[in-house]
Amino acid sequence: MKREDKPLADPLLVLREEFDDWAILFDPDSGDSYGLNPVSVFIFKQLDGKHSLEDIVSTLKAECEDAPEDAESFVREFIEDLIVKGFAGCEFLPQVGAV
Amino acid sequence: MRVMSTPKSLDLTITHRCNLRCAYCAHFTSPGDIGRDLSTEEWLRFFEELNRCSVTEVTLSGGEPFYRDDIKELIEGIVRNKMRFGILSNGTLITDEMAAFIASTGRCNYVQVSIDGSYAGPHDVFRNDGSFELAVAGLTRLQKHGINVSVRVTIHRHNVQDLEAIAKFLMEDLKLPGFSTNAASYSGLCRSYADEIQLTVEDRSIAMETLLRLNKKYDGRIGASAGPLAEAQQWLDMEQARKENREKQSDCGCLHACGGVFSALGVRADGVMVPCTQMSHIELGRINQDDLGEVWRNQIDLMRLRDRRGISLEDFEFCRECEYIAYCRGNCPALAYTILGEDNHPSPDACLKRFLEAGGRLPENGLKDI
Repeated sequence: MKREDKPLADPLLVLREEFDDWAILFDPDSGDSYGLNPVSVFIFKQLDGKHSLEDIVSTLKAECEDAPEDAESFVREFIEDLIVKGFAGCEFLPQVGAV
Repeated sequence: MRVMSTPKSLDLTITHRCNLRCAYCAHFTSPGDIGRDLSTEEWLRFFEELNRCSVTEVTLSGGEPFYRDDIKELIEGIVRNKMRFGILSNGTLITDEMAAFIASTGRCNYVQVSIDGSYAGPHDVFRNDGSFELAVAGLTRLQKHGINVSVRVTIHRHNVQDLEAIAKFLMEDLKLPGFSTNAASYSGLCRSYADEIQLTVEDRSIAMETLLRLNKKYDGRIGASAGPLAEAQQWLDMEQARKENREKQSDCGCLHACGGVFSALGVRADGVMVPCTQMSHIELGRINQDDLGEVWRNQIDLMRLRDRRGISLEDFEFCRECEYIAYCRGNCPALAYTILGEDNHPSPDACLKRFLEAGGRLPENGLKDI
């Protein structure tokens, strides 16, 4: 994933926000559920196809005073994990002239 | 205990109608038997609210869910709104085409079919003639399409001696991974025929012993959240605790059962929200009129049911001088209501002290098996 890619969460997923900003990410097709901590919830909500990895890290650092310097690597790892699981993807526009 | 902002799941009585009239049906003549079904559109509109509330699962019951002509439309609405579903059915109306449709959704957690015998006799005696054959045929169609079928065996006077054959029929002949059990309880139609249907103290002792033995034989593949097997497991544990004079557990000694009001909500066939389909007399609000989240978080009767956990068993004359108080959770509030007319009370139905006083016995060697 490149820094300028704008990942998009699978719109079929259900994000159940619970106590203390934690949430459950539920995949209705498989029935699997995953617990998300507050930072993961924050990132997940940014996966709207409008924010790049760079944008997300920048917003996260602005919102969280104690965000570590290498936050980008953690954010990237989390999003790539979501992509591997099929929970998010990056939209690629077709190349001009492509058949 | 903290409450989620919305319920995780809902139990929906999508119809009050049924093609059968089982003598121990918990629905008919209960407060949930209101004689009116919501329209397709009303349910579909509600499913959109469930989506907005991030509800992940609904259980469809009745009556008989497959009695509704629009059942496919309703299931499509559930799928469209990002939920999974389970269905509680008598199995008799499940066609091959319906089973194929359910499988095609990929969202079905299970279809539970009621089977009460290893042959027609003990099943049909309190259900309609011919219903056993139809139920098994429906179950087989579900299996053919790879749907997770769970069977519920309701134990009564005419099948308590058939339990061993039932276990063999379901898990060896039909090759089900397991099944669950309960007992015909004092609710709905059963109240009119309780003396013919419900287990005697002796039957209950036999059922507990048999089910514990069978569960051991079949590697724990028989489940129960109520009825003789659940009671055997719970009561043996309570007896062991009493003998060892164990400390009181934090969730015991008060009306701690049940936890349903912390995670789920029910809806009657007429669209009235209720704490549980077995407690349909408590009306919390109406779907598509009252906000689900608001009802869930703030409805006063629901909060009262959640608060019953703070009521000590020692406050009840019913529990005086009981040696099991420190290990007891007071049991099902719905049964307490149907038997006594009071939900904030321990249920007499699953009371170990009264069972023993009436001549009941815990399974021999049971303590070694739990």
